[in-house]
Amino acid sequence: MSQSLFSQSWYRVAPLRPRLRRHAEIHRQSFRGEVWYVLQDHQTGRFHRLSPAANLILCLMDGRRTLQEVWEAAARRNEDDPPTQDDTIRLISQLHGSDLLQGDLPPDLAELAERSESTARRTLIARVKNPLALRFPLFDPDPVLDRLAPLFRPLFSIWGFAVWLAVVVTGLVVAALHAGELTGDVAGQMLSAQNVALMMALYPVIKALHEAGHACAAKAWGGEVHEVGVMLLVLFPAPYVDASTSAAFPSKWQRMMVAAAGIFVELFLAGLAAIVWATAEPGLVRAAAFNVMVIGSVSTLLFNGNPLLRFDGYYIFADLIEIPNLGSRANRYVFYLIERYVLTIEGATSPVTAAGERPWLFVYAVAAFVYRTTVSIAIASFIATQYFVFGVLLALLALFGTVVSPLVKGLKFILTDPKLHRRRGRAVLLTSAAAGAAFALLFVVPLPYTTMAQGVVWAPDDTQIRTGTDGILTTLLVEPGRDAQAGEALAKLEDPSLDSRVAVLEAQLVELRLRYDAARLGDRVQAQILQEQIGSTQEILRVYRERQAALTVRAAQGGRLIVPGAVDLPGRYLRRGERIGYVLTADDPVVRVVVPQTDVDLIRSRTQGVAARLAERPEAVRAGSILREVPGAQQEIPSLALATQGGGTIAVDASNPQKPVALQSIFVFDVQLAGGLPFNVLGERVYVRFDHGAEPIAWRALRSLRQVFLSQFRV
Amino acid sequence: MSDPLALASGLAPAGDLAPTGAAFRLPPVRAYSERKPLKASRLDQAAAKVVGRVRVGLAGWAARRYARIARNALARSEEIAALSEAALHLRIQAITAALRARKTFRDADIAEAFALIREMSGRVKGQRHYGVQMMGAAALLDGRIAQMATGEGKTLTATLAAGAAALAGLSVHVVTVNDYLAERDAEEMRPLYAALGLTVGVIKEKQEQPERAQAYACHITYCTNKDLAFDYLRDRIALGQRASDVRLKLENMHARASRLAQLRLRGLHFAIVDEADSVLIDEARTPLIISAPAGSQFGTEVLARAMEIAGALSSPEDYRIEAAEHRIVLTDPGRERIADLAESEAPGQDSAWRGRVTREGLVRQALSALHLFHRDEHYILRDGKVVIVDANTGRVMPDRSWSDGLHQMVEHKEGCDLSGARSTLARMTYQRFFRRYPRLSGMTGTTRGVAAEFWTVYRLPVVRIPTHRPVQRRHLPDEVLPDEAAKWRRVTARIAELHARGCPVLVGTRSVGASARASAYLTEAGLPHTVLSAAQDGQEAAIVGQAGQHGRITVATNMAGRGTDIKLGPGIAERGGLHVIMVERQDARRIDDQLAGRSGRQGEPGCFQAILSLDDPLMESGLIGRGLARRIMVLLGPKHGQAFGRRLLRHAQRRTEHLHGRMRADLLHSDQMQDRILAFAGHAE
Repeated sequence: MSQSLFSQSWYRVAPLRPRLRRHAEIHRQSFRGEVWYVLQDHQTGRFHRLSPAANLILCLMDGRRTLQEVWEAAARRNEDDPPTQDDTIRLISQLHGSDLLQGDLPPDLAELAERSESTARRTLIARVKNPLALRFPLFDPDPVLDRLAPLFRPLFSIWGFAVWLAVVVTGLVVAALHAGELTGDVAGQMLSAQNVALMMALYPVIKALHEAGHACAAKAWGGEVHEVGVMLLVLFPAPYVDASTSAAFPSKWQRMMVAAAGIFVELFLAGLAAIVWATAEPGLVRAAAFNVMVIGSVSTLLFNGNPLLRFDGYYIFADLIEIPNLGSRANRYVFYLIERYVLTIEGATSPVTAAGERPWLFVYAVAAFVYRTTVSIAIASFIATQYFVFGVLLALLALFGTVVSPLVKGLKFILTDPKLHRRRGRAVLLTSAAAGAAFALLFVVPLPYTTMAQGVVWAPDDTQIRTGTDGILTTLLVEPGRDAQAGEALAKLEDPSLDSRVAVLEAQLVELRLRYDAARLGDRVQAQILQEQIGSTQEILRVYRERQAALTVRAAQGGRLIVPGAVDLPGRYLRRGERIGYVLTADDPVVRVVVPQTDVDLIRSRTQGVAARLAERPEAVRAGSILREVPGAQQEIPSLALATQGGGTIAVDASNPQKPVALQSIFVFDVQLAGGLPFNVLGERVYVRFDHGAEPIAWRALRSLRQVFLSQFRV
Repeated sequence: MSDPLALASGLAPAGDLAPTGAAFRLPPVRAYSERKPLKASRLDQAAAKVVGRVRVGLAGWAARRYARIARNALARSEEIAALSEAALHLRIQAITAALRARKTFRDADIAEAFALIREMSGRVKGQRHYGVQMMGAAALLDGRIAQMATGEGKTLTATLAAGAAALAGLSVHVVTVNDYLAERDAEEMRPLYAALGLTVGVIKEKQEQPERAQAYACHITYCTNKDLAFDYLRDRIALGQRASDVRLKLENMHARASRLAQLRLRGLHFAIVDEADSVLIDEARTPLIISAPAGSQFGTEVLARAMEIAGALSSPEDYRIEAAEHRIVLTDPGRERIADLAESEAPGQDSAWRGRVTREGLVRQALSALHLFHRDEHYILRDGKVVIVDANTGRVMPDRSWSDGLHQMVEHKEGCDLSGARSTLARMTYQRFFRRYPRLSGMTGTTRGVAAEFWTVYRLPVVRIPTHRPVQRRHLPDEVLPDEAAKWRRVTARIAELHARGCPVLVGTRSVGASARASAYLTEAGLPHTVLSAAQDGQEAAIVGQAGQHGRITVATNMAGRGTDIKLGPGIAERGGLHVIMVERQDARRIDDQLAGRSGRQGEPGCFQAILSLDDPLMESGLIGRGLARRIMVLLGPKHGQAFGRRLLRHAQRRTEHLHGRMRADLLHSDQMQDRILAFAGHAE
């Protein structure tokens, strides 16, 4: 586009004598060392940023000079870079579009009506397009705030700040002192149903105070607050307040303070809550204090304080780095870069107006886009899991807003925008090349595909040595770590009561036999009874003798004897069936891997290789293979190390204290590692990687999407 | 808003129908009638496209309706032919009353009116309209583009529609492409209109306001598109803002110098545009501007410095010439060099060199003057003045000048005295202008490729009117030769051959320059010939009229002698009729067709042949360069090479058509955007 000082349509505006309407006010501000003027429209509450040249033109328009005279005067004043006639027309047109001009012509009613119609339509479309942030204005709080001003104005002083700082620091110190207690039960406390109800009750109150903070700050420095209302943020009602008049404040620190007032209020509340929480007895008050602490600190800093979202943090950040209108200009800048350097459009205009803005704009645009897309998709899928139809609709809308609509816009730009004339071939080529590359990357290029799982080193059941009876282990007959033959005695147990019991029984048997001999000839009935007693006693004695024999523990198979905790073992009382150790051959230890059901099919059908790393030696990768699998699903997990409490990945039902039971069905695989495992790592965590060869990303995404739909929506 | 008959001005009483009784006239219903501008939103545009498609589908149905009207009119012919003069006048008065009683034209009324006008034409001029002409006229009254083959008597067709509409009380503008045609047609048809009780006015160049107002006050006004649009524009300037109907009427009552008294037109009612594609499509690329002198912007030394700097720059490092769009694009290094040069040469005494925008604008103008505008192609020097040559018609335009200081730059380049800069007073595009007619219609020989544009821009559906007699023109296959010299050798050989046989030959060129070259070649070959200078006057028409005589060789641009029938001399039909040779592809296929239509009129024999070369100016915007194209042609051998060349040129032509289509769309779009941006400046003119 070739710029020219003169405009073809200047003749139509040259004789006009417009002037600014009275409800407009101009404020002088400085951004990045350059002076700008902010035009405040008191009627609509909107702001327009003007360059000094534009401001000069505006100031020269007094209703007596014609635009021709105004422009000539402005051009004389700025000889080095005079405003072009087109610039002037654009400025006037924008002002007219905002109803800020009063001219010598009678207003065109049809044009006015048309404009107000289109504004109404745009507002409606904006609402429909963004149903996750609907606003419902309620009332005008300005008079109330005026009356209350003496109460809150002193807060916005150095003393107010000192009190605030004292409370927040105290709260921080208290929280730090109770750090363990605080972090220990966050998850448990926050997510219980009772607490969610409490939080829902507290949240609006805290947010209302937050908004009151904005309103008071704006009023404290002479702004006006004319709108308070309720906003449905992701369908959750939250109060809002329109403190945009602060944009007219000349000091950026004041502007930032208005934006930050809400966060200040919440941090203050959090500080108070920390003190209450630390001193109160367990009960409702303490629980409420805890919630206020979390909402007022963590959630505020994460959401309100985040510059990547269009909340308070954004405005604070934009004012801090002195780049007003950061978000949209950042997007425009990225678009400009693409136009200028990728599509090589010479006439592309950069939105950069001051030195040093470039890196900020670029980084912000990219970061905000990535962040916003992720968050909105996350929100949509979260809602989708809760209410199916509504959620899927919202998810589609979010998808449309973040992916489809920019794509369509981009496509339209590439295909029809007049700027691209004579570059369209190149633009189409580049776009299709990029799209082709993306497509290939997603659908064609196979990328390594693996499943990660955790397991434990596991000895098979038949290699375990268990006691055959109760008793105190006196000695290990074979040194642990040495080889034992099959049938070799490994350990000696002692059970003194058993010996005495055997002795008693033997004595009883002798006695019974003697009595039997005596009675045999006389009383036949008695003899019969005694014989029965002898039989029974012999039987009992046999059992005890067997137990006595079982006091010597023998190896069922040959192999190395492994006794965990061998040093502590002698002298310990062991119950029957308790494990002493293992007799293992080199092949015996396997890795028992637990996988959730979503991964089972892949591992079963497509495993091409297995690799494992032991937790103690993560640097060594060891190959392996699936030895066997348990064909059915189960709930029990083989080791607590695999549960989330033990540092693993399997969520365990906390309500069942007896046995670790997984919340979702799990599948168990035994993996044999090549070269076997050392015997001293039994029970240790192992990270296992199942290799499924290579597959393009899109197919995988489709598979997991199908699984999500199956599990979440039952469709 | 479509009650055009009620809005019509000049509702004359019955007595007015006598040729002499034009003295008394009722005041108009509307002070200045015109249609409110269309506010087309995107949805409207999309809907219009769909409706346009449907309308094309229904065009056959409409044509049947027009045929019925024509049949009905013809059915009455015998009965009407038997009427006495007085009875005929009575019938005319009756139908006048019937037409005025209604807001719309009824088929029966149209048939009656056509039958009466036809009879009157037969009695006054001895020409009775054909059925197809009545069909065409019915289409015109219906607000359509009547596509009628060349030579089907469009002038006569227009009389039916203009007559019927004028009888119904509408003020009719018959729009032609040049003064000569306007005057000729008006004078030719004046007796007929007079017999109908209608007055005819003609707008000529150099008429003053009262004369023009008088001409426009007639029932039917013949004028050129340019005069009409400029007169309307001047009216708009006179009306200014605050020109509502009531205000104007009140003003007329009390004020002595009312604005209404300064007007030329009576408003816009009904227009019949002859050569509609040329007026509504081809010329719609150039906006019309009325300007007034305004002191010089830059002095000689500034222009001289701009020229110096421009001379120091080199392409393509510093700037690129985009020939297809006729503009210069500065590159980034170029901008820096300009800044450096301006700095070193002018140590800050002149403000023109300090501002980046001004500086670059000046240099760009200088570069344009040096590289884009050439003497004897875009302008000529006459009496030490730069005079612009119209690229479309090849005519000189003495009262035109380039804007934004370009004119002064060219003057400086040629060493002429600098003329004063001019400032715009009003600006108009044909698109905007003709859309303001509540009732617009047109006639053209061909609408190939622009029917959709007629609909989307002007809401004009196209109706194809059959020919009176079957077309007997032969089309020989196009010949494509590798270069200009070979082409001219082939052309002269072909002409010599035809000339020897006594065949009349018409050589169609694209520009005046090409005509001059053709003439040089023909002179060299010793062939007697006539070149049309595109003067568009009676003499030119006479030459064209003679082009069908034995052994004539005529060289003409497409626009030269338009609207004049080439009648074949005695015995020429037996020799194969007029032979048209096209030596360059035109900007659009449509215009090629028009050239072809110069021969084989009204069922006469004729022949059309294109002898082209790869040096054709259209190849500038072609897909591949000329050198490459030549090599490929040789490689492909004679047969396939020809086909390749033909396709290449067609493609280049399509690209040009597309480019021009986009330029028109851009102009319309920017016009609409301007309206939105300039809403604060009141209504557009």
